[in-house]
Amino acid sequence: MSILVDKRILVVEDEAIVADMLECFLTELGAVVIGPAATVDSGLRLAKDANIDAAILDVNIRNEKVAPVAALLRQRNIPIVFATGYGESAEIDAAGATIIGKPYTKELVEAVLCSCFAR
Amino acid sequence: MDKKIEVGATPPVTSGEMRTDELAALYSLTDSLYRANTQVEILDAALNTITAVLGTRASILLFDDAGVMRFKAWRGLSDHYRTKLEGHSPWQPGFADPQPILVEDIASTDEPQWVKAAIKSEGICGLAFIPLVSRRKVIGKFMTYYPEPHQFQSSEIDLALTIARQLGFSLERLRADEELRESEERFRLMSEQAPVMIWMSDANGGCLHLNRMLRAFWGVENTELRDFDWQRTLHPDDSGAVERAVMGAITGRKGLSVEGRYRNSEGVYRMLRTTAHPRFSSSGEFLGMVGVNIDLTERYESEAALRESEERLRVALAAGRMGTWRYDLTTEQQSWDERQYELFGLPPSEPPSRDLFLSVVHPDDLSFVQFDLDDLPDGESFLDSEFRIIRPDGATRWIMAHALARSGADGKPVELIGVNFDITDQKENEEGLRLLLAELNHRVKNTLAVVQGLAFQTFKDGQATIEARKAFEGRLIALATAHNLLTQSNWENASLESLAMDVLDSQGVDKGRLAIHGPQVSLSSKAALALVLVLHELGTNALKYGALSNDSGGIDIRWHIDSARILRFMWREYGGPRVSPPKRIGFGSRLIEHAVERDLDANVMLDFASGGVVYTIEVPLHKLMDLPYEHTCR
Repeated sequence: MSILVDKRILVVEDEAIVADMLECFLTELGAVVIGPAATVDSGLRLAKDANIDAAILDVNIRNEKVAPVAALLRQRNIPIVFATGYGESAEIDAAGATIIGKPYTKELVEAVLCSCFAR
Repeated sequence: MDKKIEVGATPPVTSGEMRTDELAALYSLTDSLYRANTQVEILDAALNTITAVLGTRASILLFDDAGVMRFKAWRGLSDHYRTKLEGHSPWQPGFADPQPILVEDIASTDEPQWVKAAIKSEGICGLAFIPLVSRRKVIGKFMTYYPEPHQFQSSEIDLALTIARQLGFSLERLRADEELRESEERFRLMSEQAPVMIWMSDANGGCLHLNRMLRAFWGVENTELRDFDWQRTLHPDDSGAVERAVMGAITGRKGLSVEGRYRNSEGVYRMLRTTAHPRFSSSGEFLGMVGVNIDLTERYESEAALRESEERLRVALAAGRMGTWRYDLTTEQQSWDERQYELFGLPPSEPPSRDLFLSVVHPDDLSFVQFDLDDLPDGESFLDSEFRIIRPDGATRWIMAHALARSGADGKPVELIGVNFDITDQKENEEGLRLLLAELNHRVKNTLAVVQGLAFQTFKDGQATIEARKAFEGRLIALATAHNLLTQSNWENASLESLAMDVLDSQGVDKGRLAIHGPQVSLSSKAALALVLVLHELGTNALKYGALSNDSGGIDIRWHIDSARILRFMWREYGGPRVSPPKRIGFGSRLIEHAVERDLDANVMLDFASGGVVYTIEVPLHKLMDLPYEHTCR
């Protein structure tokens, strides 16, 4: 049984088609998707109160930085995975969080989430 | 010397009684000497007087240049006698204040016998030696000869001395005239031949003399000097200043140095510098000027050319906003120009030094500007660097420095000369471009992610096998890998080694099972995108069926460049399960065989050898590098 089963994963991704695919990946892995949020505002609302085990955040949401959402999650000690088209060399304040480049595979998502929970 | 009379230091006082014929002879002598122009004329006039008043036989002798007393003129002497006694003199040349020697009878002197004999045989008994003096020194003598013993009267002696004094004077005047003529001739010769222009003017500034060079300059003949007006050749712009200077020198009787342009005989203006001095007669009368003209035209022109070239350099450096500096490596002295100070925001009052320079350089960039003297090669070498400075006003600027190390006689570098300029704008543009490319890459990869999402949704629900979906996804991610590498180099190139490494890494291949060897090859974006798909398919096959499908196999990837600039690339699998050729040619195989073949004009061979797949590519290097063929061919 995967460690990811029933884990509640917040998804913030403004590209609907990518968000749908990630939702499918996570569902196939047995996790529960919170969101997906397509704006920073809705991401903030979820990050504040929702019951979340980990988050996969797109770095740029409709030309806004996702950083405030990440900050809230950090306060709650929720592990974060950044997904970005900039790739691993992206200039973001990852502060120890994992960064994955787009496009990514289900296997990669599974691997980074597993390592989040293994810590 | 009994009978020989030496007249004492005080010459005998002239008696008041002089005979009229003697006076007439002296008057005639004075008149003749005054008219005489040559030595012969002078001596002839003197002999006339001597023989008229003192005795019929006489001679005049003068020292020659060798100091030998020679007969110059005579009356009533045989050749034999003169030959015999020539050189016989009671005085040495230059002897001061000589006195007449009066011999009453040669027989009663203690002269050598041969002298007495020679004199006697000439029929001479008494004789007088009257010295000729110039500036108190003896220059010769005149002699009077008598057939009988001769008693010398004091009036006779006075007369002889008066004649001698007159004669001495005339000879002296003649010599002075000759010397003057000679000196003038020497001056004329020197002046004529001198390689400078020499002139002499009268007291009113009119031409008295122009040497050959100056006559040639103006195209005038010696005969035309009287009417020649040099002022008319002056350039109109210079005539005022030159004429004022010349008139000032003439009226003030003083030296002169003035420059001006004069039209020469070819109608061309030449810049002449005139240096002149006043001439005075011995009585102090102003005679005019003597001067030298030197042609400065070439010097003026080369100075003007130099000024022009310096000005051009100055403007060029200003246009390039370049600060220049020099660093003497032996004395450690530096010099900076004004712009160098401006560039660094430093006050020009601060003495330039290495420390002052380093105090402005950004601490993180110090290593870019520090160098070890010993590392400089012998001879000339270039030193270039880019670094940041923090100016005293707090502004951070990017500086580009280009310097040239110059060496001394021993080949060791002795100085650095360089320019600095501000490349902050360029750096900001580069940064802007880099950000733009990063943004572009971001969007491309977002698009790839959307394509992936579309494919995912399209092929879901049994529309395609999971395997097909995975293969598509893998290819998409391989493309994204190539994009990443290209973005890092501003889309200029990607290293073949990084490409192989990254694409296999993205497929989760264990690095321990890979060996990658080959020289650095920078791939163009086109070549990188083609090769990454091939490498991805090979990796996928190896993981599924080949050397990476078990726990023990591995892949050896190596390439080299041969002398014909052909890249030979080989992918060789080993230790995997026994290989058999696939029964069906899928898209993957077609990609492996055709993508590179068609896009890059490569020769490709895929060999399903039983020990492991061997895949080779042969491709001209220039096809991989987007460079003109000739460029890579060297």
